[in-house]
Amino acid sequence: MLRLARAGAERVSFGFPPREGIAERWSLFVGATLSVCLGVALVQSSLLLLITAATMDTPGGLSPTERLRFDDGRTAAVSMLGVVMGGAAFLAIFIISSTFAFTVDQRRRDLALLRLVGGSRGQLRRLLLGEAVLLGTLGAGLGIPAGLGVMAVQAWLMRRMGFVPDGFHGQWRMWILGASIGTGLVLAVAGAMAAAHRAARVRPLDALRDSGEATRVMTAGRWILGLLFLGGALALAIVAPHGGPAGGQAMAMNVPLCAAVAAAAFGPLLIPAVARLIPTGTGGPLGSLTRANLRDGRRRSASVAAPVTVLVALVLGQAGASASFTTSGIEQLRRTTAADLVVESSGPIGERIAAVPGVASASTEIELPAQITTGAGEDRETSTITVLVVDFAAYARTHPGSEALLGLDHRTAATGPGGDISAGTTRVELPGLDLGDLPVAAGVPAAVSGGADLLLPRGMVPPAQLTSAPSATFVRVTPGTALPDLTAHGKVSTVDRWLAADAETRGSTSNKIMVLVLGLGALYALVGVVNSVVIGAAARRREFAEARVTGLSRGQVIRAALAESSAVSVAGILLGLVAAGGAFIAVLNTTAAVTGTATLDPPWTLFAGLTATILLATGVTSVITSWSATRERPVLLLGARE
Amino acid sequence: MTTTVQTTAAVSLRGVTRTYGRGSAAIRAVDDVDLDLPRGGWTAVMGPSGSGKSTLLHLAAGLERADAGRVVVAGTDITDAGDQQLTELRRTRIGFVFQSFNLIGSLTAEQNVALPLRLAGRAPRRSEVRSVLASVGLADRVRHRPRELSGGQQQRVAIARAMVTRPDVLFADEPTGALDSTSARTVLDLLRAMADAGQSIVMVTHDPGAAARADAVVFLRDGRIVDRLAGADTHAVAERLAAWER
Ligand SMILES: Nc1ncnc2c1ncn2[C@@H]1O[C@H](COP(=O)(O)OP(=O)(O)OP(=O)(O)O)[C@@H](O)[C@H]1O
Ligand SMILES: [Mg+2]
Repeated sequence: MLRLARAGAERVSFGFPPREGIAERWSLFVGATLSVCLGVALVQSSLLLLITAATMDTPGGLSPTERLRFDDGRTAAVSMLGVVMGGAAFLAIFIISSTFAFTVDQRRRDLALLRLVGGSRGQLRRLLLGEAVLLGTLGAGLGIPAGLGVMAVQAWLMRRMGFVPDGFHGQWRMWILGASIGTGLVLAVAGAMAAAHRAARVRPLDALRDSGEATRVMTAGRWILGLLFLGGALALAIVAPHGGPAGGQAMAMNVPLCAAVAAAAFGPLLIPAVARLIPTGTGGPLGSLTRANLRDGRRRSASVAAPVTVLVALVLGQAGASASFTTSGIEQLRRTTAADLVVESSGPIGERIAAVPGVASASTEIELPAQITTGAGEDRETSTITVLVVDFAAYARTHPGSEALLGLDHRTAATGPGGDISAGTTRVELPGLDLGDLPVAAGVPAAVSGGADLLLPRGMVPPAQLTSAPSATFVRVTPGTALPDLTAHGKVSTVDRWLAADAETRGSTSNKIMVLVLGLGALYALVGVVNSVVIGAAARRREFAEARVTGLSRGQVIRAALAESSAVSVAGILLGLVAAGGAFIAVLNTTAAVTGTATLDPPWTLFAGLTATILLATGVTSVITSWSATRERPVLLLGARE
Repeated sequence: MTTTVQTTAAVSLRGVTRTYGRGSAAIRAVDDVDLDLPRGGWTAVMGPSGSGKSTLLHLAAGLERADAGRVVVAGTDITDAGDQQLTELRRTRIGFVFQSFNLIGSLTAEQNVALPLRLAGRAPRRSEVRSVLASVGLADRVRHRPRELSGGQQQRVAIARAMVTRPDVLFADEPTGALDSTSARTVLDLLRAMADAGQSIVMVTHDPGAAARADAVVFLRDGRIVDRLAGADTHAVAERLAAWER
């Protein structure tokens, strides 16, 4: 534990860490290194994939349509990887810094002893920061090769789910070496810094006796951090309903992150209070011991619970928000589709279908990729979008809410449900056909589930462009007649069936995105949870030994530790649930503002699975660590009055 | 007080008070104490449990800050000393020995003893550290870790650690409190030899036998000094203690 090497043969030498010291503190060092290693691996992989996707060349030999589709897919992949990258960075910052802070906090006694025999505050800080530099570098060094493994997994997931073309592989960049080492170093040092400062400031006698300043659980820094992120969560939740479908979703998805950091910051206040309310199932003396330990080890409990809270808030909040917006989008689509049958085919088949007896009206919507250019000079921006070629009148009849289309002439484009284009002038290029600058009028309001960004009137596009493009025709049947047979014109389904199939596709896409965004991150957070349980138990050998010589059996000690860790985990889960609840409020308000109907689709199955996983992981870890910490005969431990 | 008091006393307390807690729960652990402990002498502090002995020792060693009064250690007024100054003091002027030895469990006896020198920026010679360990009778235990040592041996390592910097004053809070009588005697013999060699020692103890080995005994009760004895034997100390504990 001491960076006091550099000793010649005749000098008293101190290893790093001293060999026997490893036996007691190896779990702290391993835990800290592991948190850096996995965090760096995750960030590095996401960053490399993001850059690979962004610089991906459009393959040669594609038709203009295919080329535009490829560009569209690349844009989607880049924005999704941006979210993955953001999540990875958030988790890395949170888990690495809290792990380092925890390992420092766990050694307050050792540090107090150093102070008592003449160590200065500066020496303590240098020692701890030196350690952080060493472990951060070591962790990052291991994280770089591990990141290549993570990248292979992430790229495979993205290929399998069809978000990237088959040949997609993350590419190595030399500068990532510096970026990864830097990330590990900075996060480790930042995490250790506050804790080192605090450990150095506490008066040595207080640290030794755990009295006075040393028992203060809520530092000014914690208050500031907690209030800042609580304010952030509230602000996001309040502003989200006014952010439109896309902006509102993004804001609502970020509420659980802010709320989780706030909850973790207030952990020392909240966790023990909540944990003590939880029945541990151990009555009598064991129950009181558990409750007393919860009260006494407030900071430890809070540190153990923090990653649990973040894990639950992140997974539940984001998955719940995402599922809710999907559901809300499907319902909105149902409300804005007034038809009986849908015919999926290609090209403009509307007239032919309208001629079939029993068909009252038909609206054919033909999908094309397009490149649009907005702004001029410096601000010129080109992007790939999807346009729908429609008959404005038929579209307005089939989709209640888009009556604005009725007043438009056939030289004007209209904004579509995608919502990314606003009214004005936009230059539109279809595959192989430049339409020039088009006036764009307000047409269809933006929908939660998105869709085409631009509607073009049929007359604007030559039929040759349309014949092979996929189309959907919404058919209204004359009331009182039998359903006409349209099978000759394409794949026919009732609107209900079609909406259900569409919902299924959207749901599964949103699930796939969630797996990509959250899957590895959640695993990392789970490792963080296990890590913190191990670190929390590391300094308790003596305490366990004292409990045993007081008359507790080894089994009872392990049971009391298990009860304590379960209570802390449940408290962490509850706080995570509260943080996710903040996101759900934002979701309800946003969906109400955007679609008129408040929608929430909380992922209870996921929550149950997550709770079971967390309790299992912390329970098993707690039993293993307390079992191993009680392996020695208690007298051996107590004999040494460290 | 005159400067002569400051130069002849190892530790000098004037009107020192320390209160714990607030309001009705406030406890005056040390209450307006005036005390001069001679340089090159061994003073024992006795008194009932909770009478403020440990607090007094912590105040005198700069581990605890006085609410009122002045504290002078080895000629330095530490009443308003900052942390850096107190750290300097711990490094060079004072040594502290606890009842519960407070060794660092991951370090060997030798490393524990060398630690204060390392913290003071010196790379101590092995021979130097070993000779200090030899002086407490542990020449053959240098590579042992605390858990591999008996209680008495651990306490002697703690004394060696406190002595390795050649402090002006050695403070010991019940150094024999956790030891059996044989180990206790070894430790007391060691302290006696050190005092005879001119070391200033302040020791808190409950054991009249231990106090009798010191040159003088002060008695504390409810945070106040109530009595003093010099050159008394075990019996006399025990009688006086019993009188104050009644
Ligand atoms: N950190 C503290 N906070 C509050 N009260 C304290 C603190 N330290 C000591 N006290 C109180 O001050 C009084 C004196 O305590 P002190 O430890 O000095 O007694 P002592 O004479 O050393 O007792 P013992 O012989 O049992 O060690 C006691 O009543 C104790 O409860
Ligand atoms: Mg005491």
